Amino acid sequence: MNKAMRSESFTAWAFMAPGLLFLALFTFWPMIYGIPLSLTDYSVIAETKYVGLDNFTRAFQDHNFLISLWNSLVYVLIVPVIQILSILMAILVNSRIPGVKMFRAAYYIPVVTSMVAVALIWSWLLGNNGVVNYLLMQAGILSEQVSWLSTSSTALYVLMFITMWKGLGYYMMLYLAGLQGIPADLYEAARVDGAGPLRLIVNVTIPLLRPHILFCTLISVMGAIRVFDEVYILTKGGPGTSTLTSSVYIFQKGLEQFNFGYASALGLIVSVLVGALSVLVFRLNRKGGVNSY
Amino acid sequence: MAKGQRYFIIYLLLILLALFMMGPFLWLLSVSLMPGRNVFASPPAILPTFIGFDNYVQVWEFMEFPRYIWNTVVITLLGVVFNILLSSLTAYPLATFRFKGRNLVFTLLISTMIIPSATAMIVHYLTIQSLHLGNTFLGVVLPAAVSVFNIFLMRQTFLGVPADIRDSGKMDGASELRIFLQLVMPLVKPGIAVIGLLEVMAFWNNFLWPIVVLEDPQKYPLAAALTYLNGQFSYNFGWIAAGTMISVLPIIIVFLFTQKYYMEGIAGAIKG
Repeated sequence: MNKAMRSESFTAWAFMAPGLLFLALFTFWPMIYGIPLSLTDYSVIAETKYVGLDNFTRAFQDHNFLISLWNSLVYVLIVPVIQILSILMAILVNSRIPGVKMFRAAYYIPVVTSMVAVALIWSWLLGNNGVVNYLLMQAGILSEQVSWLSTSSTALYVLMFITMWKGLGYYMMLYLAGLQGIPADLYEAARVDGAGPLRLIVNVTIPLLRPHILFCTLISVMGAIRVFDEVYILTKGGPGTSTLTSSVYIFQKGLEQFNFGYASALGLIVSVLVGALSVLVFRLNRKGGVNSY
Repeated sequence: MAKGQRYFIIYLLLILLALFMMGPFLWLLSVSLMPGRNVFASPPAILPTFIGFDNYVQVWEFMEFPRYIWNTVVITLLGVVFNILLSSLTAYPLATFRFKGRNLVFTLLISTMIIPSATAMIVHYLTIQSLHLGNTFLGVVLPAAVSVFNIFLMRQTFLGVPADIRDSGKMDGASELRIFLQLVMPLVKPGIAVIGLLEVMAFWNNFLWPIVVLEDPQKYPLAAALTYLNGQFSYNFGWIAAGTMISVLPIIIVFLFTQKYYMEGIAGAIKG
């Protein structure tokens, strides 16, 4: 290595040092430290002991944890719904007509507002005497009021709806970016071959959006498994355990009951699950379809 | 299909969708403008029948809004400055320098995107406590002071800067730091703007971590204060609606004025 390059190496590391230091402390350290922590009974009150795999055996016998895992998996059901709706929205706002940019911005506003505000609005709208019940009853869809967020059979699905409503604009913009990258002459060619609007979407748009679909599916799967804010603000896991998701349960165990060791073990299990699901998404996405991209 | 007919259908769909996405906010606005209105009255008030600003005036005084706005602004500014500085400094060598260990840094950065960490918040809490930063704004900001996403986003921007800029600076005998600050940074303003916007929104809306770190509710930012105050004034719909409007309006205004940059940043997420 010559002198110039050595000096360049030194400068490079000097530039990166502060950023890398923060990453080491707040990104790499949590990844590593969670593992030894999960093998202890670390809490604030008692002395810390090494407990081996006890936390993990306990986790798989912990009824509430298993329920929370199941609820998180149910939450993943919103992923395909979000993809389909946001692709349709992206196609709609990709129309070249006056004022369409205004609509794009309007659909994006739920994304930029805080979940605290969004949760508050929906908790009012969905209340017993709220607007949603009123409108549904006026339309003849419901015969009596439903307490959407305090009924075990509906609460989780209502939360999923709120998550979806807030996220649609985000995915719409990602898909819109994808749509705008598709060359117009591809559509032209397909149209010359006699393809109608539906066939254009199925045979041209969807295959060419493939990388975007993969990316969006991945981030929404991760988002769904880790869902926290809306659940914590609106139901705290209740009624009963009907909306207890794994992130909420880990938070309760860790930062509310200060069971750091046990909570870390639960976190590791969830991390492995998320990793496995991501691999699955990659596999599914590679299988079948047109690999023209 | 005739052009007019097509336009009609598209606009109809656009407007229906806008009602679905914007309706809840407009409804909140109407509740906030009707002092004394009960949101659960039957039939529910959907459109405002009268307008008054009492809710805003009262909530502003009773909830000490200026204090919470100040807290939010300080936290957001700190977060934005940290993110811009640290991600630029880290990304610049990755884009332009040839140095030993470059691939190692890349591998490490990418690994953080693949391996999810569900326990991060717990370890952050322990770290912040051991640094004696509990109950401080720095404790709120530091865990999110830099992100791998932002580093990649800045690197992408630096790659667009011509290499001869740095060479010509060297020719004039300028130090690497001076070249970076005076010649390169002015050229990557769009990238800085994107990170600035994304982080303004992230820090402004963050509520959970501040509640975990800050023991003193007087130090809460707006989003956290709202959850706290909802419990105290849950019967006063007008106040809560007005308070919520005050907390979301700044971010909506910032977004509307900067959406071009913002959208580019979001779209860049896929490439990054």
